[in-house]
Amino acid sequence: MTLSTNVEDAADETELEELGQKSARKHYWLVRAVSIVTVLLLWEVAGRQVSPLFMSYPSAIAAAAVQLAASGELGEAFLSSMQTLTLGFVLASIAGVLLGLLIGRYRYVDAASDWLVNALYSTPLVAITPLVILWFGLGFSAKLFIVFILAIFPVLINTASGVRNVSSQLIDVGNAFAASEREIFVKVILPASLPYMMTGIRLGIGRAIIGMVVAEFFTAITGLGAMIIKYGNQFDTAAMFVPIICLMLMGVVYTAIAIRFERWVAPWRYTEDE
Amino acid sequence: MTAMEVARPEPLAGGAAAQTPRLTVTNVSKAFRVRHGVNQPSSLLQVLKNVSFEAYQNEIVSLIGESGCGKTTLLRIIQGLIRHDAGQLAVEGRAVRGPGRDRGFVFQQPSLLPWRTARENVEFGLELLRMPAPERERRARDLLELVGLGHASEQFPHQLSGGMQQRVGLARALAIEPALLLMDEPFSALDAQTREVLQKELLRIQAETHKTIIFVTHDLDEALYLSDRIIVLGAKPGRVKEIIKVPFGSERPELPLLRGDPQFQELRARIWQLISNQTTH
Repeated sequence: MTLSTNVEDAADETELEELGQKSARKHYWLVRAVSIVTVLLLWEVAGRQVSPLFMSYPSAIAAAAVQLAASGELGEAFLSSMQTLTLGFVLASIAGVLLGLLIGRYRYVDAASDWLVNALYSTPLVAITPLVILWFGLGFSAKLFIVFILAIFPVLINTASGVRNVSSQLIDVGNAFAASEREIFVKVILPASLPYMMTGIRLGIGRAIIGMVVAEFFTAITGLGAMIIKYGNQFDTAAMFVPIICLMLMGVVYTAIAIRFERWVAPWRYTEDE
Repeated sequence: MTAMEVARPEPLAGGAAAQTPRLTVTNVSKAFRVRHGVNQPSSLLQVLKNVSFEAYQNEIVSLIGESGCGKTTLLRIIQGLIRHDAGQLAVEGRAVRGPGRDRGFVFQQPSLLPWRTARENVEFGLELLRMPAPERERRARDLLELVGLGHASEQFPHQLSGGMQQRVGLARALAIEPALLLMDEPFSALDAQTREVLQKELLRIQAETHKTIIFVTHDLDEALYLSDRIIVLGAKPGRVKEIIKVPFGSERPELPLLRGDPQFQELRARIWQLISNQTTH
């Protein structure tokens, strides 16, 4: 850092900027840590002033979490939710990719289905939850269906647009080498649209979690959503926060994994970052 | 096969008549439909009219002309990426009816597949030829060696500079052992220094592989430095204005030295005039 005062030539300057950036990155982490501690402290202090009926605070939530974990209730709810989420989400990803490939590749399929896809994607599909429960009852399949129907659209739409947006230059390469339609699809279009699929999958995760919670609210028998309803009804606000924080962690972890995967699949799109 | 060792044939001399041309282009014409607006009637734009020329074994032929003269269109027609309206094309006597692996194409942009390493990019055409993997890999490594990228075979395109990417593009086109190498302004997107290095490299690689190369460019110096013959195209519609034989032979000095040659300057002025007449007219 002390060198920065006597820099003359441009090459040195770029070098120094990089060093500066690295130490700045360290500072960001420090700022972030301070921010987290401050917010938790403020919450703790402010939360204690309010009736525990209306608000809770970190230490009470932590205590409730320990209790719920020890009784096994939290683990059971978590596993139940994870089951719905994972299965629904995996099925939605597979179906979304397959349908997206079809729609992106064949203009006729696109013309036949784009109005429906757009309509369904724009509708807040949690609105049909009561109908889904009429169809499937209060069990696992209703929850699975809601997670599936919410998560499939971002995957499908992104996959289709990935297929459509493959650079014509790359398609030309296939054509120039006299590749067949099928070979161009497998060797050019498919790998080129892979990053789009991954983006769709990442966006689908958030919606899948929403679908899961809403479905559990309605069925209110098992899972983290059901736990929220249960402790909400009992006015046990601290215990209610425990599943909420679990959901938050679930979302963060899944999204982080998806971002990692996105970069692993298409490293050439992220060269600037590292 | 020993004939391949002979430096450059003299395509216009009597002896060449016995040789089958690698490429024959006869009266090729092409028009595009142009729509000027959404509700406007479309009109026809004649891009190429009665273009004819040949290219022989071991020869570098440049297509040069102002932008819009249809030189890239002509090259894409030869590759089979665009269909011509009239006329005939033949590669080694066989009529062109679409893309074929008897021609290798180097694009203006490197157009490498970003998810493949340099080596895997070179293997692209070989996979389509159903060549077994070990042989494919060996061939790809040899070709990367030839274009001076032996050390970078496992790098991805985004890790390579523009010039290196274009070298991979060249290796990819050469890998399928085409009778004809088509190059569409391959060095125009590179900085001046890299361009000169690659021009020199191309001459070296051509001397090693004896390929017939059709080279599209708008750079007069590049055309004169690289070519055995230059086909000057006029625009609107694109047609052959003149075919100029470049007299520098196969052992030509580097471009900066060649620029001092009075013959070079004379030819340059003549081509420049041919092209610019056109523009003012």
